[in-house]
Amino acid sequence: MHQIALYFALLSLVSVGGMPSVMPEMQRVVVDVQGWMSATEFTQLFAIAQAAPGPNVLVTALIGWKVAGPVGGMVALGAFCGPAAALAYSIGGFWDRMRDAPWRKVFQRALVPITIGFIVSGGYVLATPGGPEWRGALLAGTAAVLLVFTRLSPLWILAGGGLLGALMF
Amino acid sequence: MGFLSIGARSFGGVLPWAHRVMVEEKRWLAPGDFAEVLALCQFMPGPNVGNVSVVLGRRWFGLAGAFTAFAGLMALPLIWVFGLALLYAEAATLPAVRAAVTGVGIAGGGLFIGTALKLAKPLAGKPWGIALAVACFGFIALGRVSLFAVLPVALLLSWLLARRNLV
Repeated sequence: MHQIALYFALLSLVSVGGMPSVMPEMQRVVVDVQGWMSATEFTQLFAIAQAAPGPNVLVTALIGWKVAGPVGGMVALGAFCGPAAALAYSIGGFWDRMRDAPWRKVFQRALVPITIGFIVSGGYVLATPGGPEWRGALLAGTAAVLLVFTRLSPLWILAGGGLLGALMF
Repeated sequence: MGFLSIGARSFGGVLPWAHRVMVEEKRWLAPGDFAEVLALCQFMPGPNVGNVSVVLGRRWFGLAGAFTAFAGLMALPLIWVFGLALLYAEAATLPAVRAAVTGVGIAGGGLFIGTALKLAKPLAGKPWGIALAVACFGFIALGRVSLFAVLPVALLLSWLLARRNLV
């Protein structure tokens, strides 16, 4: 359990752009490096967190729970949120005063391509739990297109994904 | 208490609900204020809405306020998600349920990709920025290289590009 706490605390500090940016790294460690669960189980836990109200960081609690029981779940969630929250608490005012500083604007622009690369990676690893194959690609591609080009609620897209999943897999 | 109700109602993302409760219902914040706090929290690490709760809780009630706001936001969703997970553990013996849940997860992955495409609008017409995003994808998703190795290099490159207005 201390392993997961330590690792999530580290991830917390680099999760600029929020949870989605570190999703691929979390999946890599939990599935490939530690072998705590299969890639399919990871995608399923993510699905459960998506189907619940609340911030999507709750998936960290589910991972912790799977690995080390309910207490592990609380510890994992706390470890992932704590360090970043402490940072927000302490530098919030300072960062705000730097709003118009040139270096802050450069920094913000510099983060854009990296965050995008990381979030697409997160989507890719979640959508290909058994390696790339056409059914998953079709499902994920449709979901992405619907989100970008329609005003359909993400909840309907997820529900449609569940229905298609039951039919296809 | 406001954060408790935000957490409880926030199906499909917290942000819209946070805005409705804090700005429209309780009038704790002006709309512009909300946007500013959010912009601040989006460029700090950690879950955005969690950070919003900490920053605002602190502003109004100090350290205790920050803790209360954060706990209020998380409490009910946490109970809900654990309940769902227990339910799923029972139902996971049915192949159709497993397949449906996997489908939801894959669609969720697709939503990530869609979100990234929406965020990528500022990169239009900036080939270096697009190349960097694609390189990040190659190393992280296909190469399975650790984020802790990719991030420093990518950040340095991107910083240099941003200073030349190339991203």
